[in-house]
Amino acid sequence: MATPVEMPKLGNTVEDCLIARWNKRPGEAVAAGELLAEIETDKATFEVTAPLDGTLLEVFFNQGELVPVFTYICVIGEPGESVEPFRPSRAGQPAAAGPAEPPAPRQAAAAPAAQTAQAAAPPPGAVFYSPRARRFAERHGFYPAPAAGSGPGGRVLEADLRRQFHETSRTSFLAGRLVESGQEVRGEGSGLNRMVLARDLAPPPVRLSGVREKIARRMRDSLAATAQDTLHTSAAAAGLLALRARVKAARRQKPLADITIGDMVMFCAVKALVEMPELNAELIDGSLYRHASVHIGFACDTPRGLLVPVVRDAHRRSLGELSERAGELARAAVEGTIQADDLAGATFTVSNLGSFGIESFTPLLNPPQVAILGVDAIGLKPVRRDGKVEFEACIGLSLTLDHQVIDGAPGARFLKRVRERIEEIEEICGLEL
Amino acid sequence: MESGMYDLIVIGAGPGGYEAAAHAGRLGKRVAVIEKQYVGGTCLNAGCIPTKTFLRSSRLLAECRNAAAFGVRVPAAELDMPAVIARKDRVVATLTRGVEGLLKRTGVEVVRGTARLVSRSEVRVDGRPYTARNILIATGSRPSVPPIPGIQSSRVLDSTSVLSLPEIPARLAIIGGGYIGLEFAGFFAAAGTETTVIEVLPRIASGCDADISARLLQALRKSGVRFLTSCAVAAVDGNTVHYRDENGAAASLCADYVLNATGRVPVLENLGLEEVGVDFTRRGIRTSDQGKTNVAGVWACGDVTGRRLLAHAAAREGIVAVNNMFGKPDRIRYEAVPSVIYTHPEVAGVGRTEEELKAEGIAYRKSLAPMALAGRFLVENEAGMGVVKVLAGEKYGEILGVHAMGDLSSEFIVAAAAMIETEMCAADVAQLVFPHPTVSEAMKEAILQLAH
Ligand SMILES: Cc1cc2nc3c(=O)[nH]c(=O)nc-3n(C[C@H](O)[C@H](O)[C@H](O)COP(=O)(O)OP(=O)(O)OC[C@H]3O[C@@H](n4cnc5c(N)ncnc54)[C@H](O)[C@@H]3O)c2cc1C
Repeated sequence: MATPVEMPKLGNTVEDCLIARWNKRPGEAVAAGELLAEIETDKATFEVTAPLDGTLLEVFFNQGELVPVFTYICVIGEPGESVEPFRPSRAGQPAAAGPAEPPAPRQAAAAPAAQTAQAAAPPPGAVFYSPRARRFAERHGFYPAPAAGSGPGGRVLEADLRRQFHETSRTSFLAGRLVESGQEVRGEGSGLNRMVLARDLAPPPVRLSGVREKIARRMRDSLAATAQDTLHTSAAAAGLLALRARVKAARRQKPLADITIGDMVMFCAVKALVEMPELNAELIDGSLYRHASVHIGFACDTPRGLLVPVVRDAHRRSLGELSERAGELARAAVEGTIQADDLAGATFTVSNLGSFGIESFTPLLNPPQVAILGVDAIGLKPVRRDGKVEFEACIGLSLTLDHQVIDGAPGARFLKRVRERIEEIEEICGLEL
Repeated sequence: MESGMYDLIVIGAGPGGYEAAAHAGRLGKRVAVIEKQYVGGTCLNAGCIPTKTFLRSSRLLAECRNAAAFGVRVPAAELDMPAVIARKDRVVATLTRGVEGLLKRTGVEVVRGTARLVSRSEVRVDGRPYTARNILIATGSRPSVPPIPGIQSSRVLDSTSVLSLPEIPARLAIIGGGYIGLEFAGFFAAAGTETTVIEVLPRIASGCDADISARLLQALRKSGVRFLTSCAVAAVDGNTVHYRDENGAAASLCADYVLNATGRVPVLENLGLEEVGVDFTRRGIRTSDQGKTNVAGVWACGDVTGRRLLAHAAAREGIVAVNNMFGKPDRIRYEAVPSVIYTHPEVAGVGRTEEELKAEGIAYRKSLAPMALAGRFLVENEAGMGVVKVLAGEKYGEILGVHAMGDLSSEFIVAAAAMIETEMCAADVAQLVFPHPTVSEAMKEAILQLAH
């Protein structure tokens, strides 16, 4: 006798279920307990099994259709029996003559009953939406970042999407416009119902500029390729300060380069390098190249980042000439008009952070150079003189050397030379003011 | 003692305290609220509600006098002060019963007495110990008494004692042109009192947008209130108020009563704050936007925090504190707390004022629409004054502030608050439908002027 199979009610609140898949086609023989169809509520997938042996005479709904509970979905009986008494009436449309789209043939005709529960896990990366979930996503235009759902094999169910839809933070009207203009959401929304407000946004990260990228690489390479060691000392600065005062006074009378304390220290470093050429050198592929000429690079803060212009043949220049050239190069570097040639070829570098009040730091080498001199701030230091403590203006010096080729002692000797030159600057500068 | 432990003890049954207690009760917590004077606090007994009943009466009186313009003949209308007070008492009684019912329904225990903290989890009520996992301080505020010689005299009233004045004084001097002073000024002026407001600042309602406060000054002057701005009261001597006028010259004014409306101070005394180490200043207990004080387990809300001295701010702060103490993150956003002055015409505003935007250096656009653009306003008010001012961000047009003067702006300002909460931009408001005819259409008009 023809027996209809109805859509079961799977839970108190379930009003309709979706036919996820037919496992039998009309005309096929079925055995009692055999899987007929997989069905889905918004929260889980279930199975409908055949209540008796027989032939599947007709199915009333297609895959993907939503069917009210307690509605007949198919009929099992003897071939030739009429199914009409059971055909559900569909609102406004004549009963379908049968599945318009034949169910996709399964790999195996007889699917095991436990099929859905142990459905193969999706391949990594792929997320399967259940038909109901897909329907929800389409209706709400909601496609969250893929994440495994709570269904068998990580299948995303409608309930997963509903929950995510609720939990997804919405943006305020203003924040929406700001996101469109490039701002990014940082952290949880602080507004009503976790709404993302303008204050929860931040500008997107800034890609490093070409110059900055280059600086970054040079700095990394410097640390990776050398064995850096920094020595600190200080020199009495009375001579520097006196000379600087005289320069300032003289400039009121006649045109003269504005010789800064930094220029003076650079000048002293050049003098010391001439005496100790092992620091005026480059280490290239295991060979140390000592240079007779001093081409001195100096670190220069520009709007585009750190640049190191080079004063060529610094050893041949008077203090005034050195200062004038360094001034020209610094201006060009800041204005962005400096030539590539003037940014290369240094044999030694000076970096001056003294004007910022830095008391000591560890300058990074510019390989293949083997040393760099950092110039620190001038400060007062107590000194004992004739049994009394007095305060003396001193300038800090920080020398980083490549310990691969320069040991501490020669480095210290060099610093001592620089210090002596600084302390006698007024005698050696050759300036007529 | 452990068995007697409450989840929450609230000190003070004003709008901050009772709303918080009821909310915690609804969450199924064991809650007690301790109240030394009256359930409903200042708001219900000596603040919002009594003043609003007074103002309703004076507005009705003004309407009766102006009734002819509406085609209604009313013979001689006059105020019956004892009846006004009786009505106020009835309204207050009804609302107090309502609050008591609310506390009962939500299972909150009401303890009568004066509470004092002895530790972060113990409170003594007139000596009896009560322990709780959380303590919420909601002791509110009281009128400030500035150091003016003579301010203690029996002729000087405050916002509480003025509510039981059985007669309409012939002359009243009000010290302070903030909203409390202005509301009473409006009431007494309508009642026929020769009313003078003395304000030390050059403007009244100083928290308001300056445009609105200037218009309010004009409107209240028109309705008969006299204003002495930039005048500092020096002393009160019997019936005479001595002050320095805007040029610093000594002047004086005679009145039957003086109303001290110089502001409110938090109730911090004898609470045990020092002993428990709760951080506070003269202006109030310091709290986070979650309602936390510096001491774990001790929370505060309402006027006692000195943040926004408004009943609805107190209530929201209390609920925020309760949510946080029981594990639901929440915070108050002060950007969108509206404020209202119930003068006639009334003033309502939310968000930032033009002065604040300038001070913060925020680029903005503004529009100003007369309320008479809304048909309903004309219908209701005949010749009344009204204006809506809207401030929006320069670039995106997000609503930053809405400031209105005109009856019944208090009833629609919450829409502007919602716009600010959701950071709506002027153009988005075009999608909202405003009922017609309502006064709120003037606000829509002003906003849409900025929608491009
Ligand atoms: C004249 C006037 C008009 C106002 N009009 C408005 C208005 O229109 N709109 C508006 O929003 N706001 C208005 N306010 C302000 C409003 O009343 C307050 O902002 C509000 O009442 C604050 O609530 P609260 O819970 O913080 O404190 P309160 O309402 O002050 O309540 C505090 C309670 O704590 C009790 N208490 C204090 N100490 C203790 C203790 N140690 N033990 C036990 N109990 C204690 C007090 O008795 C009181 O009942 C007005 C105020 C005044 C004075």
